[in-house]
Amino acid sequence: MEMRHDNVGDVRRVVLVGRLDTAGVDVVETRFGAAIVPNGKNTIVDLSGVTFLASMGIRMLISTTRALSRKGGRLVMFGATPGVHDVIETAALTDIIPLASSENDALGLVG
Amino acid sequence: MAKPSHNEKDGIRSSAVVDGRLELVLNNRIAAIEDGRCRLVEFLADRALGDVAHHRLEVVFEELVSNIIRHGFTMHSAQSIHVRVESKPGLVEFTFEDDGWPFNPLEAKPSEPLTSIETARVGGLGIPLVAKLSATMRYERLAPDADITGFAPNNRLVVAVAT
Repeated sequence: MEMRHDNVGDVRRVVLVGRLDTAGVDVVETRFGAAIVPNGKNTIVDLSGVTFLASMGIRMLISTTRALSRKGGRLVMFGATPGVHDVIETAALTDIIPLASSENDALGLVG
Repeated sequence: MAKPSHNEKDGIRSSAVVDGRLELVLNNRIAAIEDGRCRLVEFLADRALGDVAHHRLEVVFEELVSNIIRHGFTMHSAQSIHVRVESKPGLVEFTFEDDGWPFNPLEAKPSEPLTSIETARVGGLGIPLVAKLSATMRYERLAPDADITGFAPNNRLVVAVAT
């Protein structure tokens, strides 16, 4: 599991690549939170390189988004592949974390 | 005709394709999740499944094997999970048998609607997700009755995923 991050204007952009399974979450969860939460910036998360998502990955996304929310920031996901999109929809994760189809749409949603 | 595994790994005690079915015996090791998944992917490779169906099958496998190892077994014990995977018209059927604590996932707390990021549950998401991704789930609690290998399962869970 790999992760990189940068900024697009005032928005934090995080790119995840690999499998958000038990092993992948173990590898990336601490870095993911550290890249997003401390500065409280609005954040977009690129899921286009994520090839697998299950409950451990959902838990990571919820807990990080919650911590960011407490600092006043918003998180929007984008670029989910069909299998990942299916799990996000099935789990109704979009009820609490927006999922955009493109980076531009995600930037529009975080404002 | 049994086709034995050629490369036993830490997570896998045995692996074979028998009469078109994948039969795995997984060790009580976290490595069993990934090692078993690789065998599942190899088994499904010839079956022309779509991306979504393929992903659902991997999610169901990961969630259920992970749940048994994390919550059903005693740490470092010699307990095991026997998994059978069978491709049928329009679905793939998993049968999981394990000798862990009796646990009926159909009695697990259902997922609550996600209404806000503050109140969203972050634990116990796996079984409700499997229930939603599956076409059917059937659980049997088994009376311990060891087979010739000494395996005496307490739980049998049959899960069908539409493909």
